[in-house]
Amino acid sequence: MKYLIMCKSLTNAQRASLLLERRGLSAAVVKAPQSLRANGCGYALSLYRRLPEAVEILKNGNLLTGRIYIRMEDGSYREAASDDLSR
Amino acid sequence: MIYLDNAATTLIKPVSVGRAMLRAMQECASPGRGGHRAAMRAAELVYRCRETAAELFHVPDPSRVVFTMNATHGLNIAINSLVKEKTKVLISGYEHNAVTRPLRQRGAEIIVAESPLFDSEACLHAFEEQMGQAGLVICTMVSNVFGFILPIRKIAALCRARGVPLIVDASQAAGVLDIDFQALGAAFVAMPGHKGLFGPQGTGLLLCGQEGEPLLFGGSGSDSLLQEMPGYLPDRLEAGTHNVPGIAGLLAGMEYVRERGAEKIMDQECALLCTAVEELRDFAGAELFTGQEGMQSGVLSLRVRGMDCDEAANQLSERGICLRSGLHCAPFAHKSAGTLETGTLRMSFSPFVSESELRLCCQAIRELSQRKR
Repeated sequence: MKYLIMCKSLTNAQRASLLLERRGLSAAVVKAPQSLRANGCGYALSLYRRLPEAVEILKNGNLLTGRIYIRMEDGSYREAASDDLSR
Repeated sequence: MIYLDNAATTLIKPVSVGRAMLRAMQECASPGRGGHRAAMRAAELVYRCRETAAELFHVPDPSRVVFTMNATHGLNIAINSLVKEKTKVLISGYEHNAVTRPLRQRGAEIIVAESPLFDSEACLHAFEEQMGQAGLVICTMVSNVFGFILPIRKIAALCRARGVPLIVDASQAAGVLDIDFQALGAAFVAMPGHKGLFGPQGTGLLLCGQEGEPLLFGGSGSDSLLQEMPGYLPDRLEAGTHNVPGIAGLLAGMEYVRERGAEKIMDQECALLCTAVEELRDFAGAELFTGQEGMQSGVLSLRVRGMDCDEAANQLSERGICLRSGLHCAPFAHKSAGTLETGTLRMSFSPFVSESELRLCCQAIRELSQRKR
């Protein structure tokens, strides 16, 4: 499963990625799909596992600044629900 | 060539600086302008530079480190953000035109906390006396003309106690003095990359305690549908393509400072200052502007008796010695020191200046003066 955590800026995404890396989670900084950005271009964190843990770390670090999406098998995205974020 | 104009630009850089710039030109595209490898390499490099600056200057969040073209650019952003027409701005008697010209342009009411050269207590007292009427304080950490180290921590404490915002010009301090952004509690701290941080010309940093108002408007690679600049740092203050090779060089320069230690660099420059003073102190043909230990950085202003300072600098230049002469873009500092009519000849040091080079320069100054007689 691929997850996207939207970030308010490239620098914010980089800080968030480093924080996760320091806590043993791998998340790449990627250009966010236009369809998921209300205001145009932006960046997101892409990760494949341990979403709830990542979200908690980012929340605690005040670095969770955008919505969270899950990529579906058909390539579309749906916003993560609270069930997706519980461990 | 003997280069002693490091307060303007450090010409001799660590070898790593040029190498990093070349590599960046060949391998990095533009941060925030795509998700491809070359753009992301640039983004990583730029972020590493922000992070290194944040560590070096105790900025809690790398997003608050904004890249500028130089200290003047950073000061203009800071002044543009905080000064409206008629704002009363209290400045030291040692400010550069990079502060006073933008203030005049904004229509500020400038109040000068005048104090004698190398008198730290008088400087603090002058700020204390006049702070009541100020809506903003702007202060340099070190005079670019005389190397006078102003009591910035105490001035910052006064500002915090009275609730007056502070802009710090760290042009001559970055790389040689400890700059603790968090402890200062300043609204903005501006510094160039090309002096004590050993980056190339065209680089600078603005440390931001608040979001600030942009001077430039344009693409930021973020929130592109909006026609206003983004409301968050650093994007808000960084319109247009970054100077990525310059930032790569600045990163290498800051890594050099971090490895060597600002305190050690300062010690080395002060040792050179002592050598110059020893060489010229007993020489009647030169008038030196020196302070007590701990009051002066690696900058020495002097006058050659009976000789125009620009003429002296020209003659030294003919002998391959590079010193700056004149008012050094800081008429307020000369007014404070009583040298406005004549200007001064200035030698300024770096870790790449050798003692033997300095002694040759002092010998040349003595010869100039004797020839004049």
